[in-house]
Amino acid sequence: MRADRATAACSHCLLEVPETSAIRETIDGKEATFCCPGCMAIHALLRSEGLTGFYDRRGGWSPGPPETVRIPLDAFDGAVRASGRQAEADLVISGIRCASCVWLIERYLGGRPGILSTRVNFATGRARVSWDPSETGIEAVVLAIRALGYTPYPPDSLPAGDALRREASDLLLRFGTAAFLSMQVMLFTAGLYAGYFQGIDARYADLFRWLCFLLSTPVVFYSGAPFLLGALHGARHGAFGMDALVFLGAFSAYGYGAASLFLGGDVYFDTATMILTLILLGRYIEAVARSRAADGISRLVRLAPVMARKAIPDGRTVDVPVASLSPGDLVEIVPGERMPVDGNVVEGNSEADESMLTGEAAPVSKIAGDPVVAGALNGTGRLLVRVARTGADTVLSRVVQSVEEAQARKAPIQRAADRVARFFAPVILLIAAGTVFFGLHGGSLPHAALMSGIAVLVIACPCALGLATPLAVLVGTTSAQARGILIRGGDVLEQAAKVRCVLFDKTGTLTLGRPRLTDVEAIGIGREEALRLAASLESSSEHAIGRAIAKAYPADRRLPVQGFRAHPGEGIEGEIDGMRYLLGRPELLERFGVAIDSEASRAYAAHSAARRSAVLLSNGSKTLAILSTEDALRPEAAAAVSLLRASGTTVVMVTGDDPGVAARVAGGSGIDNVHARVSPEGKREEVRRARERFGPVLVVGDGVNDAPALAEADVGVAMGRGTGLAIHSAGATLITEDLLRIPALLALSRATMRVIRQNLFWAFSYNLAAVPLAVAGKLHPIAAAAFMVGSSLLVVGNSLRLRKGGR
Amino acid sequence: MTVDTTLLLIAVSLALGFAAWLLFLWAVKSDQFDDVERPKHRMLDDDPEERGPGRTGSGG
Repeated sequence: MRADRATAACSHCLLEVPETSAIRETIDGKEATFCCPGCMAIHALLRSEGLTGFYDRRGGWSPGPPETVRIPLDAFDGAVRASGRQAEADLVISGIRCASCVWLIERYLGGRPGILSTRVNFATGRARVSWDPSETGIEAVVLAIRALGYTPYPPDSLPAGDALRREASDLLLRFGTAAFLSMQVMLFTAGLYAGYFQGIDARYADLFRWLCFLLSTPVVFYSGAPFLLGALHGARHGAFGMDALVFLGAFSAYGYGAASLFLGGDVYFDTATMILTLILLGRYIEAVARSRAADGISRLVRLAPVMARKAIPDGRTVDVPVASLSPGDLVEIVPGERMPVDGNVVEGNSEADESMLTGEAAPVSKIAGDPVVAGALNGTGRLLVRVARTGADTVLSRVVQSVEEAQARKAPIQRAADRVARFFAPVILLIAAGTVFFGLHGGSLPHAALMSGIAVLVIACPCALGLATPLAVLVGTTSAQARGILIRGGDVLEQAAKVRCVLFDKTGTLTLGRPRLTDVEAIGIGREEALRLAASLESSSEHAIGRAIAKAYPADRRLPVQGFRAHPGEGIEGEIDGMRYLLGRPELLERFGVAIDSEASRAYAAHSAARRSAVLLSNGSKTLAILSTEDALRPEAAAAVSLLRASGTTVVMVTGDDPGVAARVAGGSGIDNVHARVSPEGKREEVRRARERFGPVLVVGDGVNDAPALAEADVGVAMGRGTGLAIHSAGATLITEDLLRIPALLALSRATMRVIRQNLFWAFSYNLAAVPLAVAGKLHPIAAAAFMVGSSLLVVGNSLRLRKGGR
Repeated sequence: MTVDTTLLLIAVSLALGFAAWLLFLWAVKSDQFDDVERPKHRMLDDDPEERGPGRTGSGG
C-alpha cells in the first residue's frame, strides 16, 4: 500500500482523486475514499441495499463517476404504456458495460416498491420495466436508475433500428414454424419413400400424403410469404430474382403434390418445405446481424449529452439544452461528464477518454488550447470550453451520418444466384408452358399435360440451385471465423473475392496503436540507471506513455517510490531514496525551475521533429535523460503487404497523421502509395478514387475516423479492438488483429466464389439432364427424387471443402 | 390392432410437434431470443441475500 501517495482511488468509480479533494469516510472499520458526493451517495445506496456484491463481481472495471447532465423528467412520459393496473416502459440505459451492471440495475429496481418486473438487455442496453401505477411512476424508475449512476434515455433510437429488430423477430417466427413443420413432413415423406421399396398399405400412403399436404400448407403460405411478396414485387418490375426462383420452386412442388392428391401421382412436399426453411435461416441470421449494427450506431449517437452547463458573464453557470448553444459560448464540463460539444479548452487541466472516436484507450491530456470532441468522457479535472460546433455539426454526428448514408446507399445483397435467377426463371417457365402446350397438341389429356408441365417446374427448380450459393457462403463464413475473421453478411465474401485494392489506415491498424519505448539518451548517468529511475517513477502511472516506459523495465527490479504525484498533461514527480525526480515535458521541468541544457533540448527537438513523444527525466537540478516513445509497426505488417502484392492487389495507406510519420510507417511496411493528412470524410473520398482507379476496394481500419471509409468500401474490415462504430460499419472484423488474415480472407473468398461457380455448374448439369426427360414424361418419380438428393449432396459436399481449402 | 397403434403413434408425434411449436411461439413472443448474452451470466448471480438461508442479512 502506498499510503503516502498524493492521490487515491475512488472506492466507487476507481478514478484517481487528489488527496486534497478526496472525501473520506470510515465504513465497517475500513476507510473509503470518494471523488465526489455522487459516488459517495451511490456507495451508501449499494450498502443499504445489500448490493455491495457489485464491487466484487465487476473486476477492475469502473462505472465512472455519475454523469451530471440530465434530461428533463417529462421527456420520459411518452415512453410509458399504461394498461389498467400495470404500466410499462422501454428505456435505453447508457453506462452498461458488463453483466454486473445488468445485475445491479435489475436487483436494485426489483427491490423498489411498486416495481413489478425489470429486464435489462445486456446486448442492446435496453431495459423493460413494468410497475403498478398506483404505487409508483416513471419518474421514480428514472430517478432510481440515475441514483445508481447510470443514465436512462427515452427509447428514441433510430427508427431504422426498431424496424430491423421487428424484421428479425418476424423472420424468426417464420423460420421456426417452417422448421417444425418440415421435420414432420420429412418424417412422413421418409415413410413414403420407404414404401416405394418395401411396399406400403395404400391407406397409409394416402394418409401420409394428406398429412404432408396439411403440414406444408402453412410453410408455403405463411413462412414463404416474404418470397411470394418479393417475387410479386420483382414481377411488377419485370425482374426475377432469387425470391421468385425460391417461391417458384417451392410453390410448384407444393402445387404438384396438391394436384397429385386428387389426380394421383407423387408428392414432393418435402422439397417445398426444406428449401423454404434453409433459405429463411440464412435470412434470419443476416437480419439479426444488421439490427445489431444499427443498435450500435444509435447507442453512439446518445453519447453526446443533451444538456450543458453554460458559463454566463457574471461567473455563474446555468443548465441549458445543448441545442440552444451557439459557437463562441462557454460551457463548463465537470469531472466524469461527457463533452456536449466540439470546442477548445479555455481554462482547466484534465484528460479526456476519446476512445469511442479514436480507438485509443489511453486518456488524452487536455490543457488550454486543446480541442475537445462531443461524446468524449472528461477525466478528473474541470474544463471550461469555448463552443466550436454543436449538434449535427460535431465530429461524432458527422461520422455517424456518413456511416448511415453509406450503409443505406450500399446496394442490397447481390447474390450470384440472383443473377442466375434473372434469366433462369423465365426460361424454366417457358419450357414448362411449352411442355403443356405440346402435350395438349400431341393429344394428351388436359390433366396429364398439366401434370407433366408442373413436373418440369419441380424437376428444374432449385433445390441444388437454391442451396448452391447460401451453403457455400455459410461454410466460407464459418471457416473464416475459425481463422479469426468475423464476417457479418453473405455479400462480404462475394465482394472480397473481387477486391483489387487494399486500403490501410495507419494508427492502430498498420501500427499497434499504443506507444513503445524506443530510445533512452542518458546525460551524465548510465543508460540502465536512467531507465530504472524512469520506469520506477512511472510504475503507477495511468498514462499510455508512462505505461510504455514502465513496461520497458522488469517490475521486480524497480525502486520504491514515495510521494508520487501526477501533473496532468505535463508529467509526474516522485521520490526515490530521498531524492525528488521529475519526469515529463519540458514545461514541467521549467515550472520547477530546472534549467534544460542545450544537449537535452537539442535531443528533445529532434524527437519532436520526428513526431516521437519524448519526456525528460530530471533530479530537480539538471536533466538526466531523454526517453522517447513511438507507435510501433505491427511485426507482420510487411509480410501481409507483400502477400497482398504477390496476389496482384494494390496496397494503399491513408492516414490523418502528417506526411513525416506516414512515410516512416509506409517505408517499414513496404507501401509506396500513401495519402497523409486525410480527414474522415476525405478517407471516404479516397476509397471512391481508389475504386475508380483499381476496382473494388477493401478498407482496414479501427477508429471512428475510419468508419465512413469502412462503410463506403466494398469490403470494410475492422480491427478486433477497434471502436464499436468501426466494427459496426465494417463487414468483417479481425478478432486476432493479425494483418496476415487479410490476404487469408481474400484467398478464402476467392475459394468460396470458385465453389459457388462449381455448385451452380453441377446444379445446372442436373437440370440439363433431367429436364428433357421430364419434358418427355419419361422421368420416374423415384429417379427424380434420387436426382434431387444426389445433386443436393454434391453441392453440400463441395461446399464443405471450404473448411479445409483456402489455407 | 396394428392399424390403431400406428395411427395413435402418428397422432402422438403430431401432438408433440405441435406442442413444441407452441412453446417456440411463446418464446419468440415473449422476447426469449432477444438477449442471448445475459442468461449465461445469470447463473453466476447470487440469490437475493434475505432469501438465502444461513446468510447474514443485508446491513449485518
